[in-house]
Amino acid sequence: MPDAMISIRNLSKWYGAFQVLTDCSTQIAKGEVVVVCGPSGSGKSTLIKCVNGLEAFQKGEVVVDGISVGGPKTDLPKLRSRVGMVFQHFELFPHMSVIRNLTLAQEKVLHRSPKDANEKGMKLLERVGLAAHSGKFPAQLSGGQQQRVAIARALSMDPIAMLFDEPTSALDPEMINEVLDVMVALAKDGMTMMVVTHEMGFARKVAHRVIFMDQGQIVEDCSKDEFFGKPRSERAQLFLSKILQH
Amino acid sequence: MGGFDWEVIRTSLPYLFKVGMVFTLTLTVLAMAGGIVFGTLLAMMRVSGLRSLGLLAGTYVNLMRSIPLVLVIFWFFFLVPYIGAWILREPRPIPVGTFYSALITFTMFEAAYYCEIMRAGIQSIPRGQVWSGFALGLGYWQTMGHIVLPQAFRNMLPVLLTQTIILFQDTSLVYVISATDFLGAASKIANRDYRLVEMYSFVAVVYFILSFGLSLLVRRLQVRIAVVR
Repeated sequence: MPDAMISIRNLSKWYGAFQVLTDCSTQIAKGEVVVVCGPSGSGKSTLIKCVNGLEAFQKGEVVVDGISVGGPKTDLPKLRSRVGMVFQHFELFPHMSVIRNLTLAQEKVLHRSPKDANEKGMKLLERVGLAAHSGKFPAQLSGGQQQRVAIARALSMDPIAMLFDEPTSALDPEMINEVLDVMVALAKDGMTMMVVTHEMGFARKVAHRVIFMDQGQIVEDCSKDEFFGKPRSERAQLFLSKILQH
Repeated sequence: MGGFDWEVIRTSLPYLFKVGMVFTLTLTVLAMAGGIVFGTLLAMMRVSGLRSLGLLAGTYVNLMRSIPLVLVIFWFFFLVPYIGAWILREPRPIPVGTFYSALITFTMFEAAYYCEIMRAGIQSIPRGQVWSGFALGLGYWQTMGHIVLPQAFRNMLPVLLTQTIILFQDTSLVYVISATDFLGAASKIANRDYRLVEMYSFVAVVYFILSFGLSLLVRRLQVRIAVVR
């Protein structure tokens, strides 16, 4: 793939003697939406955290927009500021108002003026339907609202790609859709997205490719239609049958 | 208690408060500020994950917490002049004065305790907060300064203030280097006028009112600032 936005090559990672990732390789092209799924403990979250260097790895290479994440001379904060990330537990800053959550990094990292940062922040809050809540604190919002703020916060940095680490796993069922709607809209806008999730409905709707992981390895890496048609590995078949029968 | 002399207390009030209490409070506030700053740096070293920094800070904290405070006060009082001379390359020890000697001592000593409080505070902040700061492109110091430390400080404020009340009482130990703090001032008058019962009783009452009053305030604060997550 010539214009790969994220490229992972032969990635391996150990926690002490325990190997969490084994020889993982994949590529995500510009504008592509890739869903990563698999049983818990399969290394999905670790893999996605390697993409922006939140987790260090011992072997292999991760290249984002031409820059090697593990490179000795890489300016990691700068690279991370260009890659948005959304976490399972939202991780909004509880001691700051919603709008401050969106403006802090714009001012401190991108050196935007408070006025510009504020304008950008309000525009994004509007986009996720929460402009009326800008002055509130995160704890005053529901989980779904907090996650939408978290997405807006990541977008405020004008990222070239977005990483989602189980963005709906900590949500009450009735709030999942409001978050997925925002993500679907984002995907349709052409954002490059790597999404760790069990929401197969989301995968069917917008994913281009699905990666299935098990025990630290990428077991399947194929187009959405192939994956849902008939996954080649027995492990993926079992996994799908378990989560799709509900 | 017919012989209790209220007059000696009344006439010594200006001296006790304007000289003694000012010394005590100045020392307490400055040592608290310095101790929290230094203690926070030590705490950051201890949680940094860098073995050498952690070991250095850990050794310092354990050392300070294993030595009686009176000993540390003496030790600094006699040692600091020599260290000053060594730094400034002077042949003779540099007189530091009781106040600055006491200030350095209490800052260094209390930093060990503030460090452990701040360490607990920093460790109480979920890992994901650091991740989300980093993920936005904030550097280590920015993430610490804007995200981790403000929350840690806020969570720990009641404990920090409780430690400061202890510090306030402990400053009376500067008595041993003949500083004129609140207790020292009272002691001087007690010995001059031979009114030990009156002066020491009065000092005890003032310490009790201030310390107990502050601890009640801390308790009320604790209820108010508990961070909702």
